[in-house]
Amino acid sequence: MADMEIALDIQHLKKYFGGIKAVDGCTFQVPRGQISGLIGPNGSGKTTTFNLLTGVLEADSGEVIYNGENIVGLKPYEIFNRGISRTFQITRIYREMTVFENMLSASSMKMPVREARERAEQLMEFVTLTKLRGEYGGNLSYGQQKLLEFARALMTDPDLILLDEPAAGVNRTLLNNLLDHIHHLQEEQGKTILIVEHDMNVIMNHCEKVFVLDYGVKIAEGLPEDIQTNEDVIEAYFGHR
Amino acid sequence: MGQKEHLRNFGMLAILIIILCALPSNINLYQRSVIMFTMMYVVLSLSWNIISGYTGYVSFGHVMFYGIGAYATGILVVDYGWHWIATLFVGVFVSFVVSLVIGFPVLRLKGPYFAIAMLGAAEGTRVVATVWEDLTHGGEGIGLPNIENSFETYFAMLVVMLVTIVVSYWVGHSRFGIRLNAIREDEIAAESLGINSTFYKLFAFALSAIFPAAAGGIQAYKVLYIDPETEFFILVTIYMKLFAMFGGKGTVIGPILGTFVLYIVQEITWVKFPTAHLIAFGVFIVLVARFMPRGLMGFAIDKGWARKGMVH
Repeated sequence: MADMEIALDIQHLKKYFGGIKAVDGCTFQVPRGQISGLIGPNGSGKTTTFNLLTGVLEADSGEVIYNGENIVGLKPYEIFNRGISRTFQITRIYREMTVFENMLSASSMKMPVREARERAEQLMEFVTLTKLRGEYGGNLSYGQQKLLEFARALMTDPDLILLDEPAAGVNRTLLNNLLDHIHHLQEEQGKTILIVEHDMNVIMNHCEKVFVLDYGVKIAEGLPEDIQTNEDVIEAYFGHR
Repeated sequence: MGQKEHLRNFGMLAILIIILCALPSNINLYQRSVIMFTMMYVVLSLSWNIISGYTGYVSFGHVMFYGIGAYATGILVVDYGWHWIATLFVGVFVSFVVSLVIGFPVLRLKGPYFAIAMLGAAEGTRVVATVWEDLTHGGEGIGLPNIENSFETYFAMLVVMLVTIVVSYWVGHSRFGIRLNAIREDEIAAESLGINSTFYKLFAFALSAIFPAAAGGIQAYKVLYIDPETEFFILVTIYMKLFAMFGGKGTVIGPILGTFVLYIVQEITWVKFPTAHLIAFGVFIVLVARFMPRGLMGFAIDKGWARKGMVH
């Protein structure tokens, strides 16, 4: 990490729910301009970490440094406006708004209307949803909802994109499509992408770096091939051998 | 939405204005009153629709702003000799301030908690109007100058209705409106995608408070007598909600259509079935709720007669 630029520096992040230590002093650095993965068994604190990074939940303690600023304590919209966008584990598209309205809702008010409309059209085309632009979000298939949520997260051209289980419930064809888009963003536009995912094919074949959480603590980090053979990771997933 | 559609919509509005301008001198006092009160409920249901239809915060206390407007007019005309038109601006200003003071805490609540808080706020305002006798004349009420004013109030209400329609139309077809819809659909997602929901909700709430105040003031001048029981009557809020939902909440045309149809049906049933008009009216509503649960506009969208969404 020494010669690598850091996009997001997470230091001793903590979030307890009563007696449950959802995130317990988590520390890791997300490299800039790469696709990184955040994995761990169910209940290991991945989604809670995402919620802390995006301000949906407020951390009990710890720091998240983004572009030299500690963003802990900021509201979700303030964090979004600083260039961090996200999708959700279970899609949170606006069901009774059309695809086009879903897209426009995430445009910055500083962006002229004409420009916002053009960007929405481009992104809908990017994720092949142009034909469904006038359809209610709730009428799309789950895979299409995932694509819409992904495209919506890109409306303001964020620098850091957090994707929470993008592969869940998506068929293989759509998933490949989505992964192509993710690679395009990283390779062509230099975006930083952090993915929470249970699908190990996605993590091992598409991420350059992987962080592993268990019981709210980072237990390992490294290249995908190293993580596969890491004893602590194997134990977290499968228990003692 | 293309420019053609906006032009078509404003063309329809222009026709409505021409008809409403031509009507009063050709109809009797009763008919003039019915149309004036219909326009008043268009104002009220469109205003309710801004916070409850677009933003999803269902208010059971919007009569509060209507009552504030009525009292501003009553007090300033009777006790201070103001011209009644000038009092409407005071009512609007007071409602705006009250909406900010009340909106800031209550808009932190959601769903039924917000609804109940608004109901409580309206009841609280009624109690204040009852006990603050030095200002409001208490339960005795305020009698306004008894003069023929049906033309004045008719045209004043027409102007307020037009302003309300134009503002609602702007909200409904702007990114501001889309952001309100996003809050209605999923506030957490909306915040995570850059929407400062506190600001937007408060703005929508204030906007939804000012037009009922103007309508309340005109109504006070029209009916010549106001008291806390009638000016803060919960049924007024229920009618706003009912008309908006009947036409299709979250749309611009829905509350207008809903009010014109339902208010006139209510008048007709009242005239035709004086002893059973509430039953006839109730049966009509039940039938509509059964067969058109999303209101007239929802029905039209399902049938393919209207487009989905507000911004195309």
